Amino acid sequence: MTIIEELDSLKQRVLADISAAEDSAALEDVRIAVLGKSGTLTAYLRNMGNVPKEEKAQVGRAVNEARTAVETALEEAKKLLQQQELDAAIASDAVDITLPGRSQQIGTRHLINGMIDEMTDVFLGLGYSLFEGPEVETDYYNFEALNAPPDHPSRSMQDTFYVKDLSGDGSAVKGESDVLLRTQTSGAQVHAMEDCSLPIYIIVPGKVYRRDVADPSHLPQFHQIEGLVVDKGITFGDLKGTLDYACKAIFGPDRRTRFRAHYFPFTEPSAEVDVSCGVCGGEGCRMCKGTGWLELLGCGMVDPNVLEMSGIDPEVYSGFAFGLGVERAACLKYNVPDLRMLLEGDMRFLRQF
Amino acid sequence: MKLSLKWVGDYVDVPTDTQAFCDRLDLTGTGVEGVEKLGAALEGVVVGHVLTCVEHPDSDHMHVVTVDVGEEEPVQIVCGAPNIAADIKVPVATVGAVLPSEDGGFKIKKSKLRGVVSCGMCCSRRELGQGTDHDGIWVLPEDAPVGMAFTEYLGQGDTVLDLEITPNRPDCLSVTGLAREIGAMYQTPVAFPLQEDAAKLDALTAGEPVADSVQLEITDPDRCQRYTARVIEGVKVGPSPDWLAERVVASGARSINNVVDVTNYIMFLYGQPLHAFDYDTLKDADGNVKVIVRPAEEGEEFTTLDGTDRVLTSDMTVIATPASAVALAGVMGGLHSEVEDHTTSILLETATFSRAHTSRTSRNLGLISEASMRYERGVDDVPIADISAAAAALMAEVCGGTVRPGIVDLYPVKSVPVPLSFRIQRFNAMMGADIPSGFVVDILERLGCQVRPSAEDGVLDVVAPTFRPDLEREIDLYEEVVRLWGMDRIAPTLPSSPDRVGTREQSEVVRGIVNGTLRASGMNETMTYSFVEPADVKAMRMDGLDLGMAVELLNPLNADQSVMRQTILPGLLRSVAYNQHHGTKNIQLYEIGTVFFTAEGRKKPKERTRVAGVLAGAMGEDGWNEKRAPFDFFDGKGIVENLARELALPKVRFKELVPEDAPQLQPGRAAQVLSGGTVLGWVGEVHPLVAAAFDAEAPIVAFDLDMKALEKSYRPARDYVDVPTFPAVEVDQAFVVDESVTHEKMEQVMTSAGGKMLESVALFDVYRDDERVGAGKKSMAYRLTYRAPERTLTSEEVDKAHEKLVKKVQGATAAEVRS
Repeated sequence: MTIIEELDSLKQRVLADISAAEDSAALEDVRIAVLGKSGTLTAYLRNMGNVPKEEKAQVGRAVNEARTAVETALEEAKKLLQQQELDAAIASDAVDITLPGRSQQIGTRHLINGMIDEMTDVFLGLGYSLFEGPEVETDYYNFEALNAPPDHPSRSMQDTFYVKDLSGDGSAVKGESDVLLRTQTSGAQVHAMEDCSLPIYIIVPGKVYRRDVADPSHLPQFHQIEGLVVDKGITFGDLKGTLDYACKAIFGPDRRTRFRAHYFPFTEPSAEVDVSCGVCGGEGCRMCKGTGWLELLGCGMVDPNVLEMSGIDPEVYSGFAFGLGVERAACLKYNVPDLRMLLEGDMRFLRQF
Repeated sequence: MKLSLKWVGDYVDVPTDTQAFCDRLDLTGTGVEGVEKLGAALEGVVVGHVLTCVEHPDSDHMHVVTVDVGEEEPVQIVCGAPNIAADIKVPVATVGAVLPSEDGGFKIKKSKLRGVVSCGMCCSRRELGQGTDHDGIWVLPEDAPVGMAFTEYLGQGDTVLDLEITPNRPDCLSVTGLAREIGAMYQTPVAFPLQEDAAKLDALTAGEPVADSVQLEITDPDRCQRYTARVIEGVKVGPSPDWLAERVVASGARSINNVVDVTNYIMFLYGQPLHAFDYDTLKDADGNVKVIVRPAEEGEEFTTLDGTDRVLTSDMTVIATPASAVALAGVMGGLHSEVEDHTTSILLETATFSRAHTSRTSRNLGLISEASMRYERGVDDVPIADISAAAAALMAEVCGGTVRPGIVDLYPVKSVPVPLSFRIQRFNAMMGADIPSGFVVDILERLGCQVRPSAEDGVLDVVAPTFRPDLEREIDLYEEVVRLWGMDRIAPTLPSSPDRVGTREQSEVVRGIVNGTLRASGMNETMTYSFVEPADVKAMRMDGLDLGMAVELLNPLNADQSVMRQTILPGLLRSVAYNQHHGTKNIQLYEIGTVFFTAEGRKKPKERTRVAGVLAGAMGEDGWNEKRAPFDFFDGKGIVENLARELALPKVRFKELVPEDAPQLQPGRAAQVLSGGTVLGWVGEVHPLVAAAFDAEAPIVAFDLDMKALEKSYRPARDYVDVPTFPAVEVDQAFVVDESVTHEKMEQVMTSAGGKMLESVALFDVYRDDERVGAGKKSMAYRLTYRAPERTLTSEEVDKAHEKLVKKVQGATAAEVRS
């Protein structure tokens, strides 16, 4: 057999071995056996010196050709095997993607504060600022400066928690006191008019207290959001437009509002605002007791007496105010069956929101 | 206020569509709280004619009657009433009828009474909800048509509205006042009956002038603007005629007797409370009567009509004879001068009393009456003489007798109508509307105002009537017009002010960051009661701490909620117990809320906003691929560290708290949190005894921080530090130290020894083993990162620096190096 023939046969054998290699390791073995230090083809390359001169060119060509062929085949086989091995590895790595993920617990916002956040954002967008007032008030801020002097009949509309007055001042009515838990966030109106420069555009979210025994629809402590605007040229139409916008922003664009004339000592004209029932769309159902409307908030134009008491000229400035019960709004939005759940701290309830 | 539509219909046209009428009332400011159709409940009750009446064979008081109820056969009924007799007309509840009763309804069934079949029931007034007379069967006039539905016979198809009258509208606490309101609502005419009713008096007058024997005195005109009296003689006290009882009952009162019913009728009709005294009980020895309106004496005892003994204060006003008080002015009459069956002469009081005194008296005694409700809102003094005349005339008409000529009338303070201006343009500008002046004038006139154009163009001169004490200012008139124009007709707009911006205060920003961070840390926000048990501080073992005085409520709902909280923790611990008792073991709760404390001599307490949290169990259930470690001190601390990071608090330090300073926490697992010199609050594990006191299962990790302190330390902007460009060298180093050596100490020594080159010190392992580390010792392993910001460090440099650091640590803490 000539060298050429040997080389050819070697090449054929090696190519067969390459295609027979089942994995990268076997392929590497083949490579070493052929092209390694003592590889079969390497031996030919090394022995080129012994090849007779006249055959050198021919043999050299044949050796190179064999090497190129083997190397190409090795490269191709390697790629193929690597791909196969990656595919196999990926296949065996597959998981049941329906198994639960590995997550860090995210906490939750209390439903009521969530509502307050929502409403705050609406009014911030309308150019209102946030304002705070104290929870324990004097009679002056809760009633008197709001145009409800002592013995005003509107006071009996609200059952007030009185706080022991340690200053030694007495009270005209037994069991009452000059210091009390605020029954409404409206007292903050007076603080704002005393403290802020005009114009005033504020909202005051906060806790208020009324002496109601806790039951599914009453709590002795709940939240209100008070709004107050004092500026030149404020109209009753502005009050309507503002509340109509806010109700739609909070409850949805399909909801309508209705203004019913009412009475509050610190606003005039005063109104209560209903929002159309979200369950029946205003047709009348159990939720809205057949009326199609749900009572949402009280509002009105700031009474000139209230402005005057805070040193604002009612002939120059006008304004409007509103107060909304947050728990009530939350119930309308989320159908919470029992308000007491809001104060129990039951994790199963809190983590729903 | 209950309004009979039939009654008010005598004076003004009421729309037949009751639903639409109610909606209109609602929108114009008179809330409709209920609609009751009278008579509807009496279905199955008919007029019956008793044909026969025999004694029950087995009873000494019952009778067996046969009654013609307009059907083919008469029905047999067993009746226990003493006044049953043959040949009378009675209301009969036939089988299947449902009678009103306190528990919803009483159904008439066929039954046997002592062996005799009874197919129905002959009814008393009370059984039909038509009064309180339960003495016997309601005997109807002879002409009552047999078989007629009883409600039809009564002519009752009436509807009664339960109206919410706001405190500014005393005029609406009367049928005529509401007639006026309805007239304005629909711009329709109203017929007022007062003049006609008062004119009836002349024909019923007889005897000596009343002034001959009745004298009046008002000692304090501030308490009584006007007091009048008339005397009616020869009355016969008895049941009211049906029409009168019906109207009084429809208005929400009980029918008591003809005299009292007349006073109530006139009150419901005109809004003027009246009081009828038994004239003879007021007489002195000479047969004369002196009525004095005076302040009660402090501690004066008095028994009101309801039989309750009351102790009065000098702020209250009484009607008195020289001998004794006979009525509590404006609130309730006295038991002693009450009209009774044998009463023959009446002194009729028609008066007005001070709103403020009536309101306080009512609240101080916890006694609200129809009269006090009206007086505290304001009763008009002007028409009193006419109303008194109408009442006296009606009393004589209904109860028999005659009215003595004249009236005694003390009228120290006369209400004067208030002149007001109405600037039409300003009104429309403020409403954002364009309401025509013709409408304005018409509405104000219908409401009882006198309206005239003023000298100034576009301005009306308005005189408000005395029965509308709420119309004191121009704005009060605006409200009247806009509510009757219809608020829904005003177009919605937004304020057009150019110079306003919405901002959040820094406190709000900090609150937002705290909320966000706590939620990101897995905490769930909750709310608990602001009022707590006085013993809570003790249960927290915090009674020895200086928390200030608790703020006490004067009128708590119950003893468990009688003081304002001084810490949020008790509420949170109750919620932990609540969850644990309901099978939830993993609890992560926080609350941001107000705590309260006060001091002797203070009027208003101090309020502080705190953020407190509790952790019990673990952050969640074990998963298929991970185990959740149970909460311990370091979970609470980690949350506080998150807050410190997010608020960029400077120099945050955790300082061990000794038991005397934090008795609520488990010793050895309690830390004070500081930022520089500012105390922020504390974090620790709740003392097992505290957990037990709240019936909660330990361990519970808790923290409590002051929001103001957080706000004070909060840094809105942070400093930029270059991101490193040269590589760092990390060296892991373990030290064996005594248990008493803290991580803080180690960190301090390393930081100061490492110099500029030491970038960070991170503890990655704490290891204890009696044999390998030694008893009372621990191995602490740190990863030390060395880096120079402007070049790559050589290993020689790092080795040298590290060697120095190790030596310093050894020197400062007697640490052994562990390889």
